[in-house]
Amino acid sequence: MMPDSNFLSTPLWLIEILHIVTLSLHLIAMNFLFGGIIILLFGNFDDKWNNPFVQKYIKLLPNAMAMTVTFGVAPLLFVQLVYSKQIYAASIISGWLWLMIFVVVMIAYYFLYALSFKQTTAIRQKIYLSIAFACLLYVSYIYSSVFALAEKPDLYKLLYAENQGGTIINPDVGSYLFRWLHMVTGAVTVGGFFVAFIGRKNETAFKVGKDFYLWGMVAAIATGFAYMMGLGELMKPFMKSPAIWLVTISFILSLGSLHFLFKKRFAIASSMLTVSFIAMIYTRHVLRKLSLVGFYDPSEMTVRIAWSPFLFFLLFFLLMVATVWYMLRLYFGKQE
Amino acid sequence: MNYPFWDIDIGYGIIMAAIAVIHVFVSHFAIGGGLYLVIAETIARKNNDQLKLQFLEKLSKFFVLVSVVFGALTGVGIWFIIGLLNPAATEVLIHNYVWAWAAEWTFFVIEIIAALLYFYGWKTLSAKNHIIIGWIYFVSAWMSLFIINGIVTYMLTPGDWVVTGNFWDGYFNPTFWSSLWLRTGICIMLGGVYALFVASRYKADDFKKRIVRFNSLWAIGGLAIMIPTMLWYVSAIPKEIVDAALEANLTPIKAMNATYIYAAFLAFVLVVFGFLIPKKYNIVVGVVAMVLALGWFGEYEWMRESIRKPYVITNYMYANGIDVANAEKYQEEGLLESIEFQTADKPADLFRRACRSCHTFDGYKPLKPAFDGTDETFIAQIIMGTHVIRANMPPFVGTEEEAQMVASHIYKQIDKRHISEIYNLDGIALGKKVYDLRCGKCHIFGGFNDKSETLLGSTEEDLGDILDMAGDFADEMPEFTGDEKERKALIDYIMSLNEKEKN
Repeated sequence: MMPDSNFLSTPLWLIEILHIVTLSLHLIAMNFLFGGIIILLFGNFDDKWNNPFVQKYIKLLPNAMAMTVTFGVAPLLFVQLVYSKQIYAASIISGWLWLMIFVVVMIAYYFLYALSFKQTTAIRQKIYLSIAFACLLYVSYIYSSVFALAEKPDLYKLLYAENQGGTIINPDVGSYLFRWLHMVTGAVTVGGFFVAFIGRKNETAFKVGKDFYLWGMVAAIATGFAYMMGLGELMKPFMKSPAIWLVTISFILSLGSLHFLFKKRFAIASSMLTVSFIAMIYTRHVLRKLSLVGFYDPSEMTVRIAWSPFLFFLLFFLLMVATVWYMLRLYFGKQE
Repeated sequence: MNYPFWDIDIGYGIIMAAIAVIHVFVSHFAIGGGLYLVIAETIARKNNDQLKLQFLEKLSKFFVLVSVVFGALTGVGIWFIIGLLNPAATEVLIHNYVWAWAAEWTFFVIEIIAALLYFYGWKTLSAKNHIIIGWIYFVSAWMSLFIINGIVTYMLTPGDWVVTGNFWDGYFNPTFWSSLWLRTGICIMLGGVYALFVASRYKADDFKKRIVRFNSLWAIGGLAIMIPTMLWYVSAIPKEIVDAALEANLTPIKAMNATYIYAAFLAFVLVVFGFLIPKKYNIVVGVVAMVLALGWFGEYEWMRESIRKPYVITNYMYANGIDVANAEKYQEEGLLESIEFQTADKPADLFRRACRSCHTFDGYKPLKPAFDGTDETFIAQIIMGTHVIRANMPPFVGTEEEAQMVASHIYKQIDKRHISEIYNLDGIALGKKVYDLRCGKCHIFGGFNDKSETLLGSTEEDLGDILDMAGDFADEMPEFTGDEKERKALIDYIMSLNEKEKN
């Protein structure tokens, strides 16, 4: 008898924890990048394109992109492990648009590197950054659209019956428009935090970061609320789930972090923001499960424990943390 | 079969190769280039060779752009494309090897951070620390290869995994080690070829002479490792896989021969322009060497993929994503029943699931030229016998009725005129075409499933009898359903071969 491949080799909770941890890392890097680009484009800096702070942030963008891509691989792996059927089905429906993501990211990357290697004219900087912004906006929209579609098995089956060419974008815009806007405004909020933190010794930069943090958060709360109101049938189970407490905690912590950021107490502000951020990611996770009730329950997946491959990973994971720490110490430490 | 089918006009093989070959070309350079940089830097610092250090700094910029940007993103592209083209196989890989993928990711993180620190560290890091980060980069990049190599080789030679389902049985499979060292050789060769490309843009002075010779020596070192490891790799592939592939499909042999040709030309360029006239190693030569290396890699990957046919995971899953374990069940109960994503056009659904992942009508592995001028009955009978056709195709795992449905779908797309009209042929030439279309899919004179002994030497009457009884010779053999004109032309053609044989 041949081996059945439809199984998990470690308990589901372990995979879910790893998914949430790695997705948090990915989203933090993404928010630095995407939120940062939006703030650089629309923020009111003095002599913006010659401003030393703006130039400093621009130089960090390609690295943020590298981290966003690198940290994005693991959560994609873990989510595909548990929700392979839904995610592959939804991505095939939007096949071309989905595949274009890596090409579009490459274009964004090119322009970010072009910006960071050599300071160019104001108009070019604006154009390059706008192109990168447009590319990332595309990526964010397609991600929201495909992942929202993955939660609607009836809809993707219907769409497939009509068109098999992979050119359809999720037509149920109402189900993910606010979700997408919440991600974008959330990115602006966290981007504002980074701008305020990096520019903490520069009054203008700090003010721009602080303002975007405040108004970004207002917008994120508004869009998040609108998204929640649009949950329809999911609202009731959502209200009964632990996720509602997480949303409440997240809301309170976000306001707390706002308060401490204004006082330039970054350690406590960032801690509150991080916890709030992870709580929101967990909330998304609960919502996905609720959307799929009646279609798929990941806890019913066969679990065939095989610890040795996991230990193999764990060993390398610890090695990764130690090596990155060592390299950063070498880089930022005293040079002999 | 729980997935929809991405029905696009481009052949799956082409789109997969376009992304994968470019990715491996860059990602192997990312490893070999790392080793090149750190060793060349160590030597240059020891000799206080400032010109070489400047060259290496310039190369590292190119290196970061190519590996961190292009390499990483085409790698993501592979993730995306395999999920679109063969989600069932991707699911198997992810479920069985999730912790290997995850472990590979840990080295990917180290690799990317180390690459960036190495690049930015030329001006800020001490020589010692810079070299340490260079080594960390190389070791982590090579470890990525080590891990991913287990999964890639598992697909061709899963070894005992097919029976045990044990992670390690599939991971350390029969071709694991040979493939690892072969790929290490490729990495080293590519490190030299890319470094030569950067050096090719330098003005023709003594430094260029020196650096081109060094880089050529490096690339030749890689080629030298590739020769024995390639032989080791090929010999490590279980005989039954090689025999099955070679008996019915010449693609791996052609691809293998092409790798020898590319390697020979590359060695020529490296010796002549790299050693004898290094100052003449200009941008054109640099591009030519890159193209030859890319060509070599493309052919090698083509060989590796084609020898695996008709499987995507040997003995476990067919190339069209149908699992071997359930093939019999589908044959009894029907394939359509198992297709979760269906449209109003059932024959098209069956066609997509059974054939479309390899065949298009007009483009890649086209069906039109294979069936133009034939008939629905013939097509259906060929479908029922795909597993015996030369080319190592998977069996059709549906019922006879379903084969008929697929045939009707194909028949709608083909040219229905008479073969003589489509190809403007008559007499023996027409007979040869009829043979190619109706018999040549399974029988080649002097080649695959040769029937020369039976056919050559037969009388016209015997040949007529053979055609009349064709459908009775074997379950998979179609009846002769051509018209009188085709029949006569076919017999005339075989008789003409008879004549040649006598002469």
